[in-house]
This record gives sequence, C-alpha cells and structure tokens, in this order.
Amino acid sequence: MMLWIKKIHKWASLLIGLQILIWLTSGLIFNVIDHKKARGNAYQQTAMAEQPTLVNKTLLPVRSVLKLYPATLELNQVNILSQPYYLLTQQQGLYHHFVNSYHIVNAITGELTLVDEPFAKAIAKATYNGPGDIRSVALITPPIADFLKHKNPSWQINFADDLDTSVYVEQGSGRLVGHSNSDKRFADFFFMLHFMDYGSAGSFNTIQMILFAFISLWLALSGLIWTLHMLRKGQYRLKKF
Amino acid sequence: MMGGIVNTATLTPLTNANRIAIVENNAIKTTLTKARVIRKKPLKLFNLSHKLHKWLMLFIGAQFVIWSVTGAYMVFFDIDYIHGDSLIINHQNKIKSENLAYSSPTLFQQFPRAKNLSVGMLVNREVYRFNIAKQAVIIDAQSGEQLSPLDKNTAITIAKHLYSGDGKVLNAELITSNPHFGLSARHLPVWQVDFDNFASPSLYISVSSGKVVSKRHQLWYLFDWMFRLHIMDYGDDEDVSNWLLFFIASLGFFAVFSGLVLTYFKVIKPKIISRRKSRDSAKKSRRDNSLSFGDKP
Repeated sequence: MMLWIKKIHKWASLLIGLQILIWLTSGLIFNVIDHKKARGNAYQQTAMAEQPTLVNKTLLPVRSVLKLYPATLELNQVNILSQPYYLLTQQQGLYHHFVNSYHIVNAITGELTLVDEPFAKAIAKATYNGPGDIRSVALITPPIADFLKHKNPSWQINFADDLDTSVYVEQGSGRLVGHSNSDKRFADFFFMLHFMDYGSAGSFNTIQMILFAFISLWLALSGLIWTLHMLRKGQYRLKKF
Repeated sequence: MMGGIVNTATLTPLTNANRIAIVENNAIKTTLTKARVIRKKPLKLFNLSHKLHKWLMLFIGAQFVIWSVTGAYMVFFDIDYIHGDSLIINHQNKIKSENLAYSSPTLFQQFPRAKNLSVGMLVNREVYRFNIAKQAVIIDAQSGEQLSPLDKNTAITIAKHLYSGDGKVLNAELITSNPHFGLSARHLPVWQVDFDNFASPSLYISVSSGKVVSKRHQLWYLFDWMFRLHIMDYGDDEDVSNWLLFFIASLGFFAVFSGLVLTYFKVIKPKIISRRKSRDSAKKSRRDNSLSFGDKP
C-alpha cells in the first residue's frame, strides 16, 4: 500500500511538478502586486456628463423609432459624448460581455449611427485623462487579448503614454469596454499561467486545467498519507535534522 | 653467513609485501577521495532537499491539500453554472410598437425628471422603466399604470417566467435591508424567490425594475468558501494580499522546489541511468547479433 502511495506521489510530481511551482509563483505574485494598478484604470475618468432632463421634450417618441426597427428586444435612452441616443438591443446576451447586437439611433434626428473610427476615438478620448495622444486605432474581433471574456467586436484605441494604455470601445453600442495597460497585462500574464489558459479561452474550465487539478489532488493526498505514515513510524525526529 | 642470507631472504618478501600494501592503500585512498569529490555536491543537494521537503510539508502540507481540493472544485464546475446562468431562460421577446399606447412624450410630461428611459418586456407586456432621482419606476406601456413597487405575486410570476428549471416556488421573501453576503446592497429592495430543486436555487427580482438582479444556488456559496480557503482569507474582505498567504506560499515555494529536486533524483535520474544501461546492452547485443550474422554467410 505505501509502495503505491510513494509511486503515485513520485509520478504525479513528475507530471505536474513544474506547474505546481508556476502556481505557487503566480499565486505569490497575486499576493504582492498592487491590485488597484492591475485593473489598468490608471488613466481612466468617468466621462459621461449627465444629460439634463430638459432635453427629454425634444426626443423622438420611442414608438416611431420602434416601428422602424421591429426586431428590437429593448430600447435604452443613452448619452454618448453628451448626445442623446436610443440604443436598440437586437440580440441579448445574459451579460454585456456576452454576444449582443445593437442599433444606435440618434434620439433627436432618428438617424442610424455607426460607431466608426473617429466616433470611437472621441469616445475613448473622453474616458482618458493620461498624458498621451492616440497612437493607433484598430477594430478587433474577439478574442481580445486584454479582455478575453468580452465577446463583441470592439475598437482598440492605443495611447502613447508611459503605461501603453489601450482603450476598448464596443463597436455595436459605443459602450466603454475598459482600459488596459502594462500593469494589467503583467497581472493578466500571471493569471494566464495560474489558470493554464494557454488557448486564450478567458476561462479556467479548460481540459488541461481540469486534468492538472485532478493529478494535483492525487499528488497532495498521497503526500498527506506519506507524511502521516512517516509520523506514525517515528521518522520525524529532531536530532536527525 | 647462512643466518644472514636467511635473514635477508626472509626480510625481502616482507618489505616487498609492505611496499605493495602501502601502494595499495594509497590507491584505495585516492579512489575514495575522488569518489567523494564527485558525489559530494549532488548528495548534499539531495539530502538538503529531502530534509526541507519532509519538514516543510509536515507543517504546511495541509495547505497544499486545501489548495488542491479547493482548486479542483473551482475548475471542475463550469463557472457559468456556478454563476447560475443556467437557471435563467434568456427570452428574446420582441417589443410590439403598436402596444405602446401610452407614448413617451406623455411620459416625459407626466414625469419631467425621468432619466434613463428604457422600453422592454415584463413577462409578456411592454413596459417603460426609468429613474427619478435614484428611484427606479416601471410603467405599463399600454395603460400608463405604475407597476412598481412590484407585489409578491408579480415577482413570483416574473421568476417563474425566467426560471429554467421545473421546480415549484417554495417561498418568496422581500429583502429591504441587511442583505446576506451573496447579495449586493445596491440591488435592494428585492424579492427573493426560492425554487424546489437541486442545490436550492433562488432568483432575486428587483422590486423597482422587475429584472433579475442576482441568482444563487448552494454550489455558488460553496464556491465562495472554496475561494476563501484557496486564498487563505479567514477575514471577511476576500483579500488576496494577506500576510498568512504570503508566509505560507513563500515557504511553499521552497517546499515545492525541494520536491522537484527529489523528483529529479528519484524519478528522472534513475530512468536516465536505466535507459542508458539498456541502450548499452542493446548495443552490445546488436554487436553480438551482427557478429553471429557475419558468421553465417
């Protein structure tokens, strides 16, 4: 019986020993890093000034808008860069970051609005209070390396600053997905290692993770039995140490 | 004379033997010291690692068991399931614009301070949702009748409409203050509707918007405990940056590193040696084979 325990412990350690060291190291890094910095919001500000309610009188009646877009699940009055819009949800995910699809309609003129590059740049700039200027812009389809959980196409607006800040604006809704920067990417790298998310699934429920977790159960439990066995046999003696 | 000869004769083999013995002793000594010089380092590393691993794991090994059990729980169960996503039917009912008899300009006339207007469905009727100051309001889009705050029966109807399971409603309770730790205070007030199914699922329906603001089942609470144990947070704030974790994980690093050294000496090295031996013997036997082949022309 003990022979088998020892065999299991040795072979399990051979299979996943290095990953255990990676888990320990990345875990220690999560313990010591500044979590505020790791959020990537160093240069983020809340941009949206609240819309004065006086404007409500000038808005198009929602009924006429909905008549034009009959496949709408929900209509939301939103402000983008202090302008009133109706955001029409065409396909609704359980969360914002799940797959959704939208139309944006100008709430005063009724014009269908697309979040194109200049519009996305303006939205990004309004959320940014750092020292940099826009360096480059790209439209990214998921997976988005900085926001793996986000499943909707988004504009990536890169700023030239000391932290390499990137701002993500969802193409369909004009909503801010979030800011990312070198601090967040540093933490994300170790999350990738800790969760063994080598395929950028944005999840820790991957095959390799489940397999390694299963083997680590065997490693830890066989180690526990081995230690108890040594204790019972009196192999823990201080003068020997 | 004779005696002298005998003496020398008897002496010579003695001295020769002595000389040989001395030479042999030197040879043994040199081989011994050489062997010690070669083997000294790995043995020391092995012994040190063995002691480190054995003693460190006696004190912190229990945490490794906790890490592996809690970690396995967290990765075995799909996180979307833990979040309760599968408890909800994501209805895609479309708004029928002809049902909006009560128009939005009328609404703005009646509630001039209304903000964040939205049009959506509440089970099967069109409704307006908006905020006045921080208060959320729902209005029936056909009649203009105010529906919020929602009563118990409406909350149960909504919960049943959204719930994906087949269980009966056990209980519906209004929560207005002091939410338990699984429910954020910003969602209050809510109706908690409990269902009779595996892991005791509950849906939380906002009294003022009629939307599901939270969904929980027992495996979520268990997950939460697993996470706390995993990050060794025995306070209330779910803080990864605690000193206990730092201390144990730092020691753990040495325990694991020494374990890897043992793996090298106990598993990898013996394998390499036995493989080399078998390769050598295979070579030898191949040579023998080729010889025997050569013998048979």
